[in-house]
Amino acid sequence: MGVALRDIIVEYKVPVTWEALPGVAAVDAHNALYQFLSIIRQPDGTPLMDSNGRVTSHLSGILFRNASFLERGIRPVYVFDGPPPDFKQKTIEERRRVRVQAGVRWEEALAKGDTKEAYKQARSSSKVDREIIETSKKLLSLMGIPCIEAPSEGEAQATHMVMQGDASYVVSQDYDTLLFGVPMLVRNLTISGKRKIHGRSVTLNPEKVTLPGVLKGLGITREQLIQIAVLIGNDFNPGLKGIGPKTGLKLVKEGSFEKTLREREPDFDPAPVIDFFLQPPITSEYDLAWHPPDTVKIEEMLCGEYNFSVERVQKALEGIVGKAGQKTLDKWF
Amino acid sequence: MLKATIDADILKESIDAISALVTECRLHTDENGISTRAVDTANVAMISLLLKKEAFSSFAATRSELGIDIAKMKNIFGMMAKNDMITLELTDDIHKLQVSFQGYKYSITLLDENTIRKDPNPPTIELPGKVAIPGAELNSAIKAAAVVSDKIALGIDAAKQIFFMAAEGDTDHIRREFGKDEVSFINGVEAKSLFSLDYMKDMGKVMSRAEEVEIHLGIDHPAKFSFNIAGGNGHVEYLLAPRIEAD
Repeated sequence: MGVALRDIIVEYKVPVTWEALPGVAAVDAHNALYQFLSIIRQPDGTPLMDSNGRVTSHLSGILFRNASFLERGIRPVYVFDGPPPDFKQKTIEERRRVRVQAGVRWEEALAKGDTKEAYKQARSSSKVDREIIETSKKLLSLMGIPCIEAPSEGEAQATHMVMQGDASYVVSQDYDTLLFGVPMLVRNLTISGKRKIHGRSVTLNPEKVTLPGVLKGLGITREQLIQIAVLIGNDFNPGLKGIGPKTGLKLVKEGSFEKTLREREPDFDPAPVIDFFLQPPITSEYDLAWHPPDTVKIEEMLCGEYNFSVERVQKALEGIVGKAGQKTLDKWF
Repeated sequence: MLKATIDADILKESIDAISALVTECRLHTDENGISTRAVDTANVAMISLLLKKEAFSSFAATRSELGIDIAKMKNIFGMMAKNDMITLELTDDIHKLQVSFQGYKYSITLLDENTIRKDPNPPTIELPGKVAIPGAELNSAIKAAAVVSDKIALGIDAAKQIFFMAAEGDTDHIRREFGKDEVSFINGVEAKSLFSLDYMKDMGKVMSRAEEVEIHLGIDHPAKFSFNIAGGNGHVEYLLAPRIEAD
């Protein structure tokens, strides 16, 4: 998923402290929800579920992550994907295939009692479906957090909001956002803290990547970064076999982008993909307003409908509303 | 339309009173003066402020609504000296407030009032216990409580006719009792509620300047703190929701 630029970008990632992050954060909603779904699982890969078997991992992620954002002075706005461009169809089909396959392997692993493999496969089988999106939006709005519908890709819209000065940075794990021209990308915000990677528990801290830093460091332009993404593959085209980020960087820097494509994929026209990164569909019509959380309704939804523990929900809400036992004036109006 | 001249100290006092709770507010003007009512982002505390036209050296206004960035105002007026005279002028361009003092002329862009939370309705709460206490005494007790805890109890012991402020920390506690010789009991009925010192500290600083603060209390109910500003030509009311300890 996304684009495998990591190898050439890793040097330009800078650790960032929570204290440096207050402000408006434009969150790539699809990416965040995917993180919640894939990470918030039991050791054998079973996601959190209510008594009716409905998945609740994303609701847990939304509640606790945002509570901690708000408590730290970060005001999140969630940007949801609109309809994908036509040329993303292949990627979407491929993802579906991988997901379905992972689902089958997960069950096989469970049957064999291989918990480690089960967890791995379960994560890959995560799907951000309509139900997940709708329930997420409902909870976000009860928490007083704005949700925005992108005309197309969420990352592109989130980037536009940063360019407009309405947000300070984009929160996503995917480097694609850089291709859309985001000045500052912050990673590990939706997953930071302790996380199991390859069975080991590691602590992930927030890190930022700035586009000017990356471009200057690599000695290329944004257009060239997009060319690398086209060569190695991204959400919109599969890329060339055997070309990774380092080779891609070398080819683009020596000016062989077009030549390479002509030789290897004569029928592929990269222009629509490149144009899409440079001028994606975006909108300037959005409303950013944060409201105090509706604590009563949040409890009704999470504890009443989805079997969350009242105590845990109240504790998370305290962080946003105030100290323990603090009442709001609503009750007396 | 608004055209007014006011003493820097009075304007500062008013802005400080508002900024204790909110960073932006809707200011209403009419021929009698200016007023605002705002609730903090967490919906825990409300301020109502009224500045009568008598608080100004000159005042002329029609009915209008201004979106004020209180945090910005506080910074701008931070450099004013006592007794400076300030003129405020709102012409037809309702998005710019012209402010001048000491030869400086500011043109301050106002906030779009539609982006500011709607004015809350004036709440109707029965708060039977009423005492009046000097603002400085109130603030001292708040500061003392803040040393040991993050919350403070305010109450009236009806039998003993005592108004008390008490704070319990993990290891220490503090209690200050006021008898009839120190506070006036307007209505000394039994009352006790607990409040967050985060709020009380900010409000206390503002109230310390008031000669007398009227406190209205109930049992596990909000508290109302009511006091005059601008030498009696203005009035502030704070309403603060209680903290209620789990059993």
